[in-house]
Amino acid sequence: MSDDTPSGRRQVGSDLIIPVAGIAYAVYYVYSVWDFPPEAQRSGFFLAGLLVALCLIFFVRIGILAARGRVELEFDALLGPPRGRLGRLGFVALIGAYLLTVGTLGFTLTTFSFLFIGSLLAGLKSIRRAAIFAATASLAGWLFFIVLLGTRFPLGPFEALVNMVTSSWR
Amino acid sequence: MNATGLAELFFYSASMWWVIIPAVFIGILMGAIPGFAAHNTIIMLLPLTLAVDVDVALTFMVALYCASHLGGGIPAILLNIPGTGGAAATTLDGYPMSQQGKASKALALSFVASISAGLLTSAVTLFMLQYLSQVGFYIRSVEMVVVMLFGLALIAAIAAKDMIKGLIAGALGLMLGAMGADHIYATPRGTFGILELFDGVPLVPALIGLFAISEALIMLETRTVAPAGAARSMPTWTQTFREIAGAFRHWVLMIWTSLLGLVIGVLPGAGASIAAFVAYQQARVFSRTPEKFGTGHEQGVVAPEAANNGVTTGTLVPLLAIGVPGGSTAAVMMVVLQFHGVPFGPRLFVQDPLLAYGVIMSMFVAYVFMLVTLFPLTRYLSRITVVANYYMAPMIVAFTLVGAFVPRNFMADLTIAVVFGLIGYVARKTGYNVAAILIGVILGPLLERSFLLSMRISGGDWTVFFSSAIGNILWALLAVTLLASPSISLLRRMRRKGDIY
Repeated sequence: MSDDTPSGRRQVGSDLIIPVAGIAYAVYYVYSVWDFPPEAQRSGFFLAGLLVALCLIFFVRIGILAARGRVELEFDALLGPPRGRLGRLGFVALIGAYLLTVGTLGFTLTTFSFLFIGSLLAGLKSIRRAAIFAATASLAGWLFFIVLLGTRFPLGPFEALVNMVTSSWR
Repeated sequence: MNATGLAELFFYSASMWWVIIPAVFIGILMGAIPGFAAHNTIIMLLPLTLAVDVDVALTFMVALYCASHLGGGIPAILLNIPGTGGAAATTLDGYPMSQQGKASKALALSFVASISAGLLTSAVTLFMLQYLSQVGFYIRSVEMVVVMLFGLALIAAIAAKDMIKGLIAGALGLMLGAMGADHIYATPRGTFGILELFDGVPLVPALIGLFAISEALIMLETRTVAPAGAARSMPTWTQTFREIAGAFRHWVLMIWTSLLGLVIGVLPGAGASIAAFVAYQQARVFSRTPEKFGTGHEQGVVAPEAANNGVTTGTLVPLLAIGVPGGSTAAVMMVVLQFHGVPFGPRLFVQDPLLAYGVIMSMFVAYVFMLVTLFPLTRYLSRITVVANYYMAPMIVAFTLVGAFVPRNFMADLTIAVVFGLIGYVARKTGYNVAAILIGVILGPLLERSFLLSMRISGGDWTVFFSSAIGNILWALLAVTLLASPSISLLRRMRRKGDIY
């Protein structure tokens, strides 16, 4: 269970997220196989039943502890220590932004921006060091993943420029 | 094959040092990056392996394969991110050792266990190849179901702090693993209508999300992985070699977990992840200090590392003996060998026995080369744990997302990895074991396939699962495995209280 509070009671609010999400998915899964022939439903029903049964046992246990006043429904432990919390939430948002832009900006530019902003959000104080780190790592990544290994990661303006320059040499 | 023949084969394989050394370094590097497993690397380097002679291609692939399993343990220990699925069990004790400032020692244990296991299992395989190859014939879908249930039993055992949470994590993993087209009618189930999930949950993005991204998010709460004092304490050469020598104290554990890995590797479909967790659990059950597992215990690093390298040899056995690849890398190797016109199964041993034994000998030689080249690395690699997390966390996310993309080249796999990252983060913060979720995701489709196949063959008769001698022995072993750990703890508790002597 999650951290103890000053009152000595345990925070269990965040402990419920996984079982609740699990039950929600199990219900959706059963719904998705509802019209299948019985032979194809068998394993889905078994797995969903197993997950729901385990979650119910967990809820009963939490209910008993709550009735005895030994737990409280707090979600604070989920976000970690208060210091730097805003930066960490910003980092999660930055990952979302990476997913949205990587298709257009390509590997190198997206990685540079992600590493630059990400390192600052994560606690690096110097903008100059963040820029040097981001430039070095993104160029090394481009050389390794795109040039050397030839992965098909989306290419953007930087890769297009390099391709144009190198093709003009030939 | 007689001793002279084996000696000749050894020297011939050793003469390929110019292939083995680069393959070892590429393998370690790629193994250490989640998503770039051996089979992906071999696929990327396919033009190279198809262009050279078959013996050179084989030596290259085998050396790269062994090294990638060893490389997978490095980020598992240093950053709590397994480079390959087989290294997931290594995180359980390897990472706590790094957090205690013992990264160099954990790496020494990992390298010694991996290399010793590789040398031992390849030597055993050379002598037992014709007998080991028979194992695959006796394992059918019924027995596979019991083998998978072994994996499930481990989920409960791994989550020692809170068994119900461990079971929920495993069941959630199984449920997620059952996503995608069903095995009989190929109709999608539980996919939210997302086309990229019709083939099921992609394992590499799931692994990257559960381990790498969630770990990066947790990392942001502290400055470095290792304690502050470790920044100034780089081990001396004497310390490094003492740590390497000290790792050999666990030789008994290394021998039996590597042989366990070898046998599990021979079973098609079982793989390194199952072997590593089985070995971890077995090591804990028979340990004198089972309570130390999960807190940075040396045996908890040795057992899974020895087992997952034992598997590397095992997976090649069914490929050579019966033409059935034991794993994904073996399947890629099979394609290359077929391109070169190499036969498989009994014909291989009749037409080209040198090649059959040469594969295993190349493996042995690759481990000998690793012995010489890798041990000094433990001194330097452990420094990664003192790099500030504001550099490490963004870099882990940016570079492992490339790994999530590589196996299928789907942009949606990046989103899947991030979603699993958030699931992993919540799971870690609330005490649900992420390794248990991953095991569930891996086992889900395999278990379902074997289960449905058995039911179809038997016409829906459930007693089919108790119809074979091997299956029944495995059931009994499963029961012993489940009951052993709590029984031993109960006996110890009673002895401490003075209830029994």
